[in-house]
Amino acid sequence: MFYRRSGIRHTRYQDERQLFPLGFDRFLVLAVIGILLAAPFLFDRLYVTGYLLPWLIWSSAALGLNLLMGGAGQVHLGYGAVMAMGAYGSVHLVRFGAPLELAMIAGGLISASIGILFGAAALRVKGIYLAMATLAMQSIVDFVISQTPAISGGALATLQAPPVRFLGISLAGERETYYFALAVCAVITLFMLNVRRTSFGRALAAVREKDYAAEILGVSTLRYKLLAFWVSSFIGGVVGSVLAICYLRAISPDQFHLDLSIQILAMVIVGGLGSVLGPFFGAALVLFAPILINNALGDVLGTFGLSLPIDLRAHLPLMAYGALVIGFLLYEPYGLAKIYSNVRTYLFVWPFRHAQR
Amino acid sequence: MQGGEAPVLVCDGLELSFGGLKALKGISFEVRPGEIFGLVGPNGSGKTTTVNVATGFYRPNAGRVRLFGDDITGEKPDRIARRGIARTFQNLALFKGMTVLDNILIGRHIHMNPSALGTLFYWWWAQREEIAQRRIVEDVIEFMQLQDIRDEPVEAIPLGLQKRVELARALVSEPRFLILDEPMAGMNQEEKEYIARFILDAREERGVTILIIEHHMDVVTAICDRAVVLCNGEIIAQGPPRQAIAEPAVIKAYLGERAARRAGMAEVQAPRPSGGEAA
Repeated sequence: MFYRRSGIRHTRYQDERQLFPLGFDRFLVLAVIGILLAAPFLFDRLYVTGYLLPWLIWSSAALGLNLLMGGAGQVHLGYGAVMAMGAYGSVHLVRFGAPLELAMIAGGLISASIGILFGAAALRVKGIYLAMATLAMQSIVDFVISQTPAISGGALATLQAPPVRFLGISLAGERETYYFALAVCAVITLFMLNVRRTSFGRALAAVREKDYAAEILGVSTLRYKLLAFWVSSFIGGVVGSVLAICYLRAISPDQFHLDLSIQILAMVIVGGLGSVLGPFFGAALVLFAPILINNALGDVLGTFGLSLPIDLRAHLPLMAYGALVIGFLLYEPYGLAKIYSNVRTYLFVWPFRHAQR
Repeated sequence: MQGGEAPVLVCDGLELSFGGLKALKGISFEVRPGEIFGLVGPNGSGKTTTVNVATGFYRPNAGRVRLFGDDITGEKPDRIARRGIARTFQNLALFKGMTVLDNILIGRHIHMNPSALGTLFYWWWAQREEIAQRRIVEDVIEFMQLQDIRDEPVEAIPLGLQKRVELARALVSEPRFLILDEPMAGMNQEEKEYIARFILDAREERGVTILIIEHHMDVVTAICDRAVVLCNGEIIAQGPPRQAIAEPAVIKAYLGERAARRAGMAEVQAPRPSGGEAA
């Protein structure tokens, strides 16, 4: 309906390889960007800092993990630990007086250089065994951080992030923080969009699909597996520092435990492996579905004057959320992004039924 | 074609065993520049294993492999690929989830400089290179007549076309030496003829030397200049394909002792115009 290829004639290769060749896609993207830019002026500040800001940060993290899992096909159950290294690294640097721009990059580099060790495991093992290896790494990093006073200040200590400036603008205010997170998210999103049309992304995909065929085409699987871990961990470290400095503002070891890894993993899988749109959908579902279900349940109980046992009342939203995730994955194993693309494909050929893709 | 040049591929006494199984027992042959070289033999005779040794997937227990005069024994496949060799696989090895075009573009990998930063700054760093490579890819797409399916997901097209895409992916890296592992397996007559034509054209237009593993003897005799017949990891015949596959040892390997005796008798007796098929 809205999507039509007819009338679009590319005369140059760069036109054909542009990110959004269809007019309606471009319109949608611009509309979303416009809403996100205007959000602090449109919505209540509670919604911006309580919902949009974490959504952007968690989506960025899920994008980073998706490069590794969807792009290069390597399982990673320790992404929380990767983010922890970036967060602690950058917070310490900022506390030492380093500018945020440098601290972010340094946080990314710390994560990348340690995260590549996770990748060393990937050279030996695949699939479920790699999952176990990365899980072990998560525990090791957790342990080292919480047991090293020089890093965490002690197992129960909280590390304050001092006020920071980015390119001369103070990030103390909520509005500035939001725009900063939005900018970081935009850069990561652009990178992920471009991955799909460059030789770098194709090499990762080759390693993911058939490593022996990749080898004889000149793609060193060793190099690209490590590179995938490096780049993904770098993104994780940068997002970790954004999370620590802009959102949490005070970090403690328990914020980066396995829970965070699983949460981001869930976002990637529910959203759609290998998709750029998926992490945004996934992050929205994982972050907000429990809250929305909880509110809806409260409304229902309130209007009918019912009451539930207190522990059932607390757990019912989580059960419903779990059922929702299972339901989505049963309906469409490739995630929410695939459901979106099915709708899009349907509209492509509407009113006819059969679409090639 | 050009005589007197160094051989493209020299396998010298290759031996390889998997556990107790001796897969290769001293394979020696050479492929000369510009020729189409056939590698035939019954199932399990070591053809693919030989090719896997030559392309670095297996390291031989003994023997040397030389490519364009350089010793490449034990080198990694991705290093060997950069020396100007390309191959296809017996069971298709295309990358699912990508379009035909992207699958062929991967073939240009060794000519490109992939980097994460270049990806981030696509418009300034990568775009120019991508487009330059795209032109070369489009030449091959035209050569292989894949224009109308270039945007299809590769798993959605028929097997015959998938094989052609894989051949295109191998050709696009501009190899000087191409190894085809059963490019016609599972094809009908028409698709076989297409592939045979592409193989001949690839040699004519692009000057590629080709080693082909093939079970269809009509194809081998029609397009190969020379052939080697393997059986149980040993070379049992070599020479011009028509003579090589007519040797009693080859007939014995394929059809058994009795058939070989009968063939041998048929040679002694007056040749009959037909009836050789009778079992």
